[in-house]
Amino acid sequence: MLNVKQVSKIYEGKMAYRALTDIDLKIETGEFVGIMGPSGSGKTTLLNLIATIDEPTTGEVLINGQNPHKLKKDDLAKFRRRELGFVFQEFNLLHTLTVEENMVLPLTLDGAKVKDMKEKAHSIAEKIGIKEIMNKRTYEISGGQAQRAAVARAMIHQPTLLLADEPTGNLDSKASKDVMTMLENINKTEKTTMMLVTHDAQAASYCNRVVFIRDGKLYSEIHRGDNRQAFFQKIIDTLSLMGGDAHDLSPIRV
Amino acid sequence: MTFRQFAFNNVTRNKRLYAAYFLSSMFTVMVFFAFSIFAFHPALSGDEMNMSVAQGMYISAGIIYVFSFFFVLYSMSSFLQSRKKEFGLLMIQGMSMKQIRTMVFLENMVIGFFATIFGIGIGLVFAKGILMLAENVLVLSGELNFYFPILAILLTFVSFMILFFFISLFVSYVLRSKKLIELIKGNKKSKGEPKANLFLTLIAVVLLVAGYVVALMAKGMEVLAVMLPVIIVVSIGTYLLFTQLSVYVIRKLKNNENVFWFKTNMILFSDLSFRMKDNARTFFLVAMVSTVAFSAIGTLYGFQTYLTAGTKITNPNSFTYYAYDNEEQDVALINEVLKEENIKANQEQMMFNYYEIEGAWVVIAKESDFNRFAALIGEEGVSIPEGKTVVVEFDGVPFNQTEELLKDSIQLNSGKTLVPKKDEVIYSRALPATASYYLVSDKDYQQLPAPVDETSYYAWQATSGEQNVFAAGEKLSKELPRHEFTSVDYRLYETNQMYAPILFVGLFIGIVFFVSAGSFLYFRLYMDVEEDKQKFKSISKMGLSENEMKKVLSRQTAILFFAPILVALIHGAVALTALSHMFEYNLVKESVIVLSVFFVIQIFYYFIVRFYYYRQIKGAL
Repeated sequence: MLNVKQVSKIYEGKMAYRALTDIDLKIETGEFVGIMGPSGSGKTTLLNLIATIDEPTTGEVLINGQNPHKLKKDDLAKFRRRELGFVFQEFNLLHTLTVEENMVLPLTLDGAKVKDMKEKAHSIAEKIGIKEIMNKRTYEISGGQAQRAAVARAMIHQPTLLLADEPTGNLDSKASKDVMTMLENINKTEKTTMMLVTHDAQAASYCNRVVFIRDGKLYSEIHRGDNRQAFFQKIIDTLSLMGGDAHDLSPIRV
Repeated sequence: MTFRQFAFNNVTRNKRLYAAYFLSSMFTVMVFFAFSIFAFHPALSGDEMNMSVAQGMYISAGIIYVFSFFFVLYSMSSFLQSRKKEFGLLMIQGMSMKQIRTMVFLENMVIGFFATIFGIGIGLVFAKGILMLAENVLVLSGELNFYFPILAILLTFVSFMILFFFISLFVSYVLRSKKLIELIKGNKKSKGEPKANLFLTLIAVVLLVAGYVVALMAKGMEVLAVMLPVIIVVSIGTYLLFTQLSVYVIRKLKNNENVFWFKTNMILFSDLSFRMKDNARTFFLVAMVSTVAFSAIGTLYGFQTYLTAGTKITNPNSFTYYAYDNEEQDVALINEVLKEENIKANQEQMMFNYYEIEGAWVVIAKESDFNRFAALIGEEGVSIPEGKTVVVEFDGVPFNQTEELLKDSIQLNSGKTLVPKKDEVIYSRALPATASYYLVSDKDYQQLPAPVDETSYYAWQATSGEQNVFAAGEKLSKELPRHEFTSVDYRLYETNQMYAPILFVGLFIGIVFFVSAGSFLYFRLYMDVEEDKQKFKSISKMGLSENEMKKVLSRQTAILFFAPILVALIHGAVALTALSHMFEYNLVKESVIVLSVFFVIQIFYYFIVRFYYYRQIKGAL
């Protein structure tokens, strides 16, 4: 469903910088893919290109056979809020809104009916266990709850592709585990295609497949078998083989 | 890098952040400087009349200075509020509160210094324009030459350096040692929505309605008596309007999910209620300041038209002359000057006779005299049958004695009595008596007793050469005493000239208030710019089209710009209506002109600010 073809990204400027070189990546419907790599390897650039936040210098990105970069600005905004869901490291919840209001925001922008929005919000909140905090403000809840609320917001319009940028980066190990288990569950039950960029090998071990990037190029990819522990070990091994800095190996990055 | 260098670089390398504060400071300096250029102009420090004008100028400069102080203080403290996070960061790096204060003080002095220099510089560039403007508004005879205003420069420089010094000192002590965590969390935490109290909301409505009703009901001098209480009541009402009623309305809107959850409304309203506490204060301030500006300018403008209109109404003839002495000489002089200036004019003469009736001196005129003078100004004549009299009231002047005259009657020598009738009163401007008088037939006029006083009265109505009427009037007014000779055009010119300085000063201060109100709004908006950038950044990632963003921003800015101004416009309209009741003079035209000019300016201001704000937010995405 996602097809990244020969994508390169060069940041122009006084010192032109090549962030990505000829990346090819295919993700099938319902897959849960992790992208890993050392700092500055181009993970987030790749995510931004797929998320249509940034544009590739060459090559193309197809989502369900459609190239969103060719859309007009307003259509692109609509495409984003209908087809894509985002989860960020810093949650990006609006602190002027309650959790529930944050969750339904993408739907209100599309002019959905209040009744439908309420139903969707409640069913999702129930699934991911944030029902009790629906009427709280964002500064009254914990980081783990905030990230779950952000996931709920990303999921509420049933996007075809959910993109997560270091979703566990701001969370403690317990909260990371909760969020990752939740994402895995959503992936399994809703069959939502997911792509996750992370430093965190523990988080990456919840994926079906992990793609490694180094210096803007694809380095290798490994698939998960039945055992998550073994997968975690394989990820660690690959990372050390890639020779990233020591801190890239730490299971939790704060 | 020494500490001083750090403070200096903090400003010079961060121009964008400081620009708003800098510009508004510079603007205040400019206003003050422009005003003092005018106040210190050599042409204004001459004779006695100009001395009193100059004194008025100094007082006004004082008012502007005091206002500048509060304005700069307000700008500064809101600017510091938006930098909480930065201070928190510096404190984490180990900066002590004392050092932060020193830094703020130094920064402020740097900004103040440059603002003063640039304000004076730009003011100097526009000085010629300002002087020309003043010349036209003031109807000053003789040109106001451009001069190098050393005194004004010195005064502005010194007084603003003092002002900035004290503000820097003051503000740096306002920065009390807050808890670090509060600084770093900065604006993350809600300042709390003010609670809307139903009782207070009702009070707001009651106070405003009561104030308006009283203001509009008062007639004549009652207006003065009710002015202060009405102002107090309306001020409180306005404050409650913004702090209670608006909160109440937004609450209601927010609780209605069909409205609140509709498209971009959620983003708009949530922010509105979140910022309501800050907004309410700014709105109140802006509404009151603008009301003052509207009312001041409206009053002055209205008063001026009232005066000129009064002169025009009471003097329908081009020239008039009462002969107290030197009658023949003076009339010859007038006719000679008219000839010199190529003015053809119709001339009429009559004897103005006063009779004693019931102890009062009353004018009684005869039909033929009246008709001649009526023809002179193009009014229709009347015919009075023998044995009758009518009371004539001067048209357009509210103070007269018609009622008294209707009660009295005229005794003729023949023993007959002429009694005026109430339904026969004539309204005319033919004869110059602003107090009402009797009109009798020519026959009955012969039968009148001897007058107690008589004056020969002349009037001229120019039929051609109107362009020279003013010059002739000026010439003659200098030759003949004021109580004898009147030229309308020259009288108007004199009135304007006397009144213009007051008008100019009033206008200037009004405009300063109005522009400051605009700046308050601008500051309110820019205090939230970082937050808005952050917010729209996250929402646009989720998919907010540019049009939708534009819509939200437009509405947000529109509410900020028009909510207080609309209230001020209504206040101003009520105030001016009350004022027109006091003068018993219709000020509708003047009020509409003044208020709509302000409204149009505000619309322009709105579009400009919206454009830049939108561009800035868009640039951050």
